[in-house]
Amino acid sequence: MSWLVLWRLARTGLAVWALASGVFLLSHHDLGVAARLAAPDAADLPLSGGAPTTAAQQQATILAIRQRLGAGLPLFYVSRPPAAHPRQWHWNGRRNQYHRWATALLHGNLGTSFRTGRAVTAQLGQALALTLPLTGTAAVLAVLAAIFLARRLAAGPWWQRPVRAALAALHALPLFLVALVLLLLLANPEALDWFPAYGFDQALEADSGFWTRVTTYALHLALPVTALVITALPELTLQLDAALRHELRTDYATTARAKGLAEKAVIRHHAFRNALLPTLTQVAELLPALVAGAVVVEVVFALPGMGSLLATAAAARDYPVLVGGVLLTGTARLLALLLADLLYFWADPRIRWHA
Amino acid sequence: MARLGSASHPWPHRAACGWLALVALAALLAGVLPLPYLPGVPDLAHVAQPPGTASGHWLGTDPQGRDVLSVLVFGARTAVLLTLPAAVLSALLGALAGGAAGFWGNKARLPVPYWLLAASGAWWALRLPMPGVALALAAGGLGVAALARLQQRAFPTWPVPINAVVMGTATTLDTIPRLILVVAVAAGAGLSSGALLGLLTLTAWPHPARLVRAQMLRTRELPFVEAAHAAGLPAFRVWFRHALPHASQPLRTAMPLSVAGLLGLESTLSFLGVGLSPEVASWGRLLGTVREEPTAWWLFFLPGICLTFTIISLIQLSRRPSVSA
Repeated sequence: MSWLVLWRLARTGLAVWALASGVFLLSHHDLGVAARLAAPDAADLPLSGGAPTTAAQQQATILAIRQRLGAGLPLFYVSRPPAAHPRQWHWNGRRNQYHRWATALLHGNLGTSFRTGRAVTAQLGQALALTLPLTGTAAVLAVLAAIFLARRLAAGPWWQRPVRAALAALHALPLFLVALVLLLLLANPEALDWFPAYGFDQALEADSGFWTRVTTYALHLALPVTALVITALPELTLQLDAALRHELRTDYATTARAKGLAEKAVIRHHAFRNALLPTLTQVAELLPALVAGAVVVEVVFALPGMGSLLATAAAARDYPVLVGGVLLTGTARLLALLLADLLYFWADPRIRWHA
Repeated sequence: MARLGSASHPWPHRAACGWLALVALAALLAGVLPLPYLPGVPDLAHVAQPPGTASGHWLGTDPQGRDVLSVLVFGARTAVLLTLPAAVLSALLGALAGGAAGFWGNKARLPVPYWLLAASGAWWALRLPMPGVALALAAGGLGVAALARLQQRAFPTWPVPINAVVMGTATTLDTIPRLILVVAVAAGAGLSSGALLGLLTLTAWPHPARLVRAQMLRTRELPFVEAAHAAGLPAFRVWFRHALPHASQPLRTAMPLSVAGLLGLESTLSFLGVGLSPEVASWGRLLGTVREEPTAWWLFFLPGICLTFTIISLIQLSRRPSVSA
């Protein structure tokens, strides 16, 4: 069993590495745009001596920036120089961008951001301090709500059909639509002004007491968490509901009913644990999906977390941050796989005994 | 019979078909409709006007002065022209890859001469150093073929792990959520709509591939496939003409859902400002402008309604796959 888990983790790790390498190579293939975006605008430059920037000076600036971004080196171990007449492959040895990136990565160094010049690990860590509570709360709440709702649904109340249809429709709606609805309804001075719409970073820096800080924090995170829960809930609930209904048709459920147990007791003590296993697999999908959801939610609600970091990095062609984000999401997937396997052990004694 | 016909088309289904037809029509006729304004031309005299007030802007304008109606119509064209081909292409790619993986598993065998000839062709195409090696490989392949022909034996074969390759690639692509992957790659490449179409196809094919593979595992054990084998048909023909059409059945139901997912992804990308260039009209981008003007309900309401109706109609369509029944 443990070998199986290890093998799965190794395979996923390999996949993450391959994807990150692919994104790295694709993005660093052409650093021209990134260099242009990283170049200071003529308007931003301090007018030192009032000398107008000539084309030659701009060329020199771009060249210096390309050097700083590491574009002076060849991209990969082999390359095909465009000028060489018999278009031969050229072996570059270890002096290439990919090798440097990979070596730095093994030392835990993700490079420095093109845009801000800060270390990517520091930026990601700072952003995670906001995103982890956000996604973690959303994940826990979504799972709990799904369990609650699916148990009620499986008992077959009169409201099961419309609720299932609504969940199915909600499942397909893009997250940004849900988030925008929440934002425009509940954080809008024109409609209901219950929650703050933005300004998270200013609110926490104010010198205030502990409880004020906690309430500001909760108020700012309430809507984003709600949006994430609303989008994560339908898939979990529908799946668990279908599994529960399947289990309720089995012989042991009939036996339990024949003993005189109430339907609720049958669901709670007999069917539930058996129906839980596919949902545990979904938990492995949930964590990376919530990181992706955080991209949208944090942009909508102007939260300075992982998601908005990735979105601004994408707009500014800040490749080291993007590659770091891909690696981090992959790590979330690895952790989620591990978590799902542990939960399997807990939920199904048969798996425990075979181990 | 008439009762049966009307029973198989309840009103939600008809409404869904009607709405989708309307969207498709708007997409087709976007170029010839008599719209008073074009989506790319800002009318700076009327910025963020509510519907029905400004001259000629029937549905109002956005904070950049673009006409909402024409953005909606041209956004429908963007949505249809991007998501439908992406869904069809990914379904085709997925059906071929998943079907091959399910039919042959890891047990497909390719004769050695073909292997050697393919390797030499690849060597030549990539212009690897020492072209002599390519020649030697090709000669070796022909030699093996000639030897086998002389000795009246079948070509020796090497296995092709189709299943491992296809499922490995699919798993690799599925490791990271689609949105993150597309955002990371799209930012790197700076995309035209053709490239975005390719990217969406590339990230969307694993799901149909899994569906078709699962169905193919069941199909290849059915008697009619066995009969086709017994009739002496070549394996490729059995796969392509007999098993694959049967194994692609789940795609009929999955297709509208796939279009809905791609539409959501496309509008999310446009909302984030990644992917398509800002000049291309898109519902997601129009929805994004509401953040600059939170009081402009029409900027949110109209494209939001379009997007929601389209997605719910697609779901409704996938729920009743066999309309002809």
